[in-house]
Amino acid sequence: MAKGDNKKQLLRVEKIYKSFGSNLVLQGIDMELNEGEVLALIGGNGAGKSTLMKIIMGIYQSDKGDIYVNNKHVHLAKASSALAAGIYMVPQEPMLFPNMTVEENITMGFKGKQSELRNKIIELMSSIGWELDLDRNASSLSIAEQTLVEIIRGLLREAKILILDEPTSALTFDEVESFFKVVKDLRDKGIGIIYITHRLPEVFEIGTHVSIMCDGVITLNGPVSEFNREMLIQGLLPSNMEHKEKIDITVEAIDYKNVKPVFELKDFSGYGFNNISFNVYPGEILGLAGVVGAGRTELVRTIFGCDRTLSGTVILDGKDITGLKTNAVLKAGINLVPEDRHNHGLFKISSVCENITASMLDRKETGGLLLDKKVEQDIANKYVNDFRIKVTCNEQLAGSLSGGNQQKVVIGKSLSTKPKLVILDEPTRGIDAAARMDVYRIIHKLRSQGVAILLISSDLEEIVELADRSITVFNGSINAEFTREESIMDNLTKASFGIYKGKEANQ
Amino acid sequence: MSLLKKLSRARWLSSLIFLIVLFTITGLVNPTFFTYSNILSAFNSSVVFTLLAVGISFVIMTGEIDVSIGATMGLAAAIAGTIAQRGGSVVEMLIYAVLLGLVVGAINGVGVAIIKVPSLIFTLGIMGIVRGFVYVYSDGRTVENFAGAFTNLGSKELFADITVYYSMVIVIVLVAHILLTRTRNGKNFIAVGDNIGGATLIGIPVVWTKISAYMLCGVFAAVAGVAFASKYGQVNIVAGSGYEMSAIAACVLGGVSLSGGLGSALGAAIGAVIMSSISRMLVFIGLSSDYDNTIKGIMLITIVVADALMHTRSVEKARRARLAARASNHNSAEVGSSDEE
Amino acid sequence: MKNSYKENIKKIVTRWEFVLFMVLVAEFVIFGAVNFQKFMRITSIFSSINNYISICIISLFVTFVMITGGIDIQASSIVGLTSIIIGVLWSDAGLNIWVAVLMAIVTAGLCGALSGFLVAYCNVQPMVVTLGGSFLFSGLALLISGFSETPAFKGISGFPGKNEAGEFIAFRALGKFKLFDVIPIQIIIYVLLIALCYWLLHRSKYGRKVFLVGVNRQAAEYSGINAKWIIMSTYILTGIGAAIAGVLLTANVNSAKYNLGSTFTLSIITAVVLGGTLSTGGKGSIIGTALAAIAICILRYGLPLCFGVSTQNLDLPIGIMLVLVVSARELAANQRVSTFFRGLLKRS
Repeated sequence: MAKGDNKKQLLRVEKIYKSFGSNLVLQGIDMELNEGEVLALIGGNGAGKSTLMKIIMGIYQSDKGDIYVNNKHVHLAKASSALAAGIYMVPQEPMLFPNMTVEENITMGFKGKQSELRNKIIELMSSIGWELDLDRNASSLSIAEQTLVEIIRGLLREAKILILDEPTSALTFDEVESFFKVVKDLRDKGIGIIYITHRLPEVFEIGTHVSIMCDGVITLNGPVSEFNREMLIQGLLPSNMEHKEKIDITVEAIDYKNVKPVFELKDFSGYGFNNISFNVYPGEILGLAGVVGAGRTELVRTIFGCDRTLSGTVILDGKDITGLKTNAVLKAGINLVPEDRHNHGLFKISSVCENITASMLDRKETGGLLLDKKVEQDIANKYVNDFRIKVTCNEQLAGSLSGGNQQKVVIGKSLSTKPKLVILDEPTRGIDAAARMDVYRIIHKLRSQGVAILLISSDLEEIVELADRSITVFNGSINAEFTREESIMDNLTKASFGIYKGKEANQ
Repeated sequence: MSLLKKLSRARWLSSLIFLIVLFTITGLVNPTFFTYSNILSAFNSSVVFTLLAVGISFVIMTGEIDVSIGATMGLAAAIAGTIAQRGGSVVEMLIYAVLLGLVVGAINGVGVAIIKVPSLIFTLGIMGIVRGFVYVYSDGRTVENFAGAFTNLGSKELFADITVYYSMVIVIVLVAHILLTRTRNGKNFIAVGDNIGGATLIGIPVVWTKISAYMLCGVFAAVAGVAFASKYGQVNIVAGSGYEMSAIAACVLGGVSLSGGLGSALGAAIGAVIMSSISRMLVFIGLSSDYDNTIKGIMLITIVVADALMHTRSVEKARRARLAARASNHNSAEVGSSDEE
Repeated sequence: MKNSYKENIKKIVTRWEFVLFMVLVAEFVIFGAVNFQKFMRITSIFSSINNYISICIISLFVTFVMITGGIDIQASSIVGLTSIIIGVLWSDAGLNIWVAVLMAIVTAGLCGALSGFLVAYCNVQPMVVTLGGSFLFSGLALLISGFSETPAFKGISGFPGKNEAGEFIAFRALGKFKLFDVIPIQIIIYVLLIALCYWLLHRSKYGRKVFLVGVNRQAAEYSGINAKWIIMSTYILTGIGAAIAGVLLTANVNSAKYNLGSTFTLSIITAVVLGGTLSTGGKGSIIGTALAAIAICILRYGLPLCFGVSTQNLDLPIGIMLVLVVSARELAANQRVSTFFRGLLKRS
């Protein structure tokens, strides 16, 4: 397919290679972006996409390869060179200056009179139709507003090439809508946009072209009109996997009539969620679906004692544990695999052994005052073997493991306390397919042992595959409940986006 | 933004108010304090501290720290003293001081910004080295017997009872403040301390900013050393020991946050006046100078705790408001195009 | 079998404590070579460590604080505070000397608890809190000395513990007693403290919690560890450590002064950092801190003796050592630099 002859080529990268130490992150990337194009860049969780963007933005330097802007070869040694070339990146996490005002944030690093710049900003905002108080402190802005500020910065610099790194990941539903409108406006104005996302629907909504990056190479590439969802998913799988393996475990149905729930939530409200009620039965996997920002993580964090409960009751095995601190909740028999394993789950510069036993330090099994190192090793060995965690030895630093093994370590830590209820928040995010299979096996084993499992996942296929029942959370409240047969992609997706019309949740 | 709004955001204003409150309390307890010359002498005597505090505020604003300034000051004072002994000019002293400050600052900057050693540790080591140089340079003896006019040179009053030195300091502080808040490069300091990742992303030369902060800090400390020598007429081998801590305390009192990204040179200067005039004010109240450190300690802790609590409160409030907004948003209807096919 | 032997050796050799140990050995070799007679006298060596025993003892406890990612610059002020409290309580209030000692130690613990509370529960930066604390506690020490009849600059003396035979017993024994007439009691207490701290940090559950809090505070909280209490407790420990140092110092010099120990702060931090503790937290070692502290003491002893460096000029070599060591550590950890050097080595 010929490139639009009247479309100017804004950016071209050829044969980009980059490695960190022995880790080959980019292995020969070719990419091009023309005027008025929105290039959706999708790919698995790994440093590939962000690394490439940082190279284009001058923050990293490629080991090999060339970059051309407007068909001229450029050498982007630092961020200011990229900015001068008309490239601007809106990072995934907005990096504003919290102690400065919105105006100061936008004009930071600019030459020119402050009053002139201020007028320009006001003009810019009105032409897009955004209202932002320029004198507000950046720390008081919501994530969505911060993203907007980042974009205005790029526009003020008259960037011709805009890189948006997962801009909607922290936005609520309405914010996403108005954001798409802006992107379409920019596209019409001729600005070239590289749009990194994990959400396939977005590709079709605003993308003009799509590229799939997998293991450091571009596997698929072309105008959006030539693809459908199946083809995209195919392109995302590692090259030696044809389709997702299905777990071959016979699942015993749960007899709900003769079983009492081990975990009960009644009218539970906290920061980010309202009046949540559901039960979890022993030996059951309850799936909690919803989009990012629906309030699920806030819900489980509050149950776990990390945030304040506003109202409602939490009952575990008949005991009221509402509002207890984390330590007490652990002792009562709940454990949590946190969503953010890097910041909340893993002790990176500690050994695998120390990681796995971290939740056990107040228990008699590990000793009295003195830590019984033999018992510790036994516990660690058990999980390393059971979970097939690949380590050179138990003393290996957890931070040096692969994503999948790291996740297994965190799961091991959570299971070491032999909880009655295990909460898994995005347990397979950012891990490879083989590790994912292992995690599914672990979950099924727990299930057969009678442990109650609360599974939070944004990967709806995961919920379809694993859950005995599922519940969707939308804007902080439950809006639908499904049995195993009803837990299908269509229902779950619609409910997650708040458009499921049909069976409402039993309050 | 209107002037009034700008002022309400200025942290140095709260420090100024605090200073005025301190003055007022002193005056209420002992009305003889309320003379022009008394109040003015509080400022005049803070020359050394002001220079140190403003200098280190550059570094603190970028989110780092420098504990070597006391030693740098001592060395510069010793050098100034020996030049004074043979009757050399102030200009000569300043030239050496500036050179010394630049060299020490550059070394600190390289260690912290390029080799990436944590700033407390690196400047700690440099402090030891510079202290050692003081000893070697002065042969272990106090430098004294300055020729004539150098001692108390700056105490001559220029106008309105403000001494020569302090009027110079006022000019320096105002210039520094304007440069920091109005020029493009000046704003880089605060930006680097506020969000270093964000600063890199918009093209601010982070490494150079940090190095220049340390160099400025070194120069200010060295110039303070010259003023020190002139003020006291002699320089012993431990001159300046502990001054770095007082300078840091002055910055904190002046609204400069130790985590970086917040504060101003003006605030540091006001904090320095507070630190250096505490003992004088205590005398007027009737408390002996024995109470100095206790009062300073209480002030420092109270201010810092209040600041931290307010900050945590506002961050928590903002987070909870964001979450509550998300949860109460019940628009589930018209969505349309985000359907799966 | 042989392979694992080799592996074990490699494990030991690449540890930082081993490097420190070699530095210590090197010091002995070099200083011994220059001036064997004067240097290698066991009593002098012991007394050289004794001179800086406060730094040695306090640095053991500051290790705990720095592993949690904090810092403590108020410990040296607490030394003086402890000393003057003992003096005033014993001499002016007439209390039994051991009661005075106990009350002084409790007070020191409370001082540490105050700072620890502010750091752990109010989220104030450790540097600033302990800076304020250093002003506050040294100021309080001065004020308390004002309660005594003895003027502050003189120091309270005449502590009990000398019997008719002229031997030192009881309190004064803490200062002057020597085991086998050779090993000063302070060294014995120091060794006991090293053992205690080693056990506490590297063998007990508490120590494991300290490490985990330092590595990742949030992950520790998710694991049910009471991070706030752990952080606060490290400051209490430092306070008590400073108190012990104050007691020993007071007994040794037979004088309770408010400003005892005021210049120790930076040497303490140096010892802890040289000992392998990362100032960002999560890593540290009692043995490392102890070896580093002893190495510094020997350096302070050997340089004047064997090379004629004046005692007041010792900051220079120690400063150089600190700068070189931490710079080398950072550079070694930096990937670009290490691949560069590896390339050099391959070529040669």
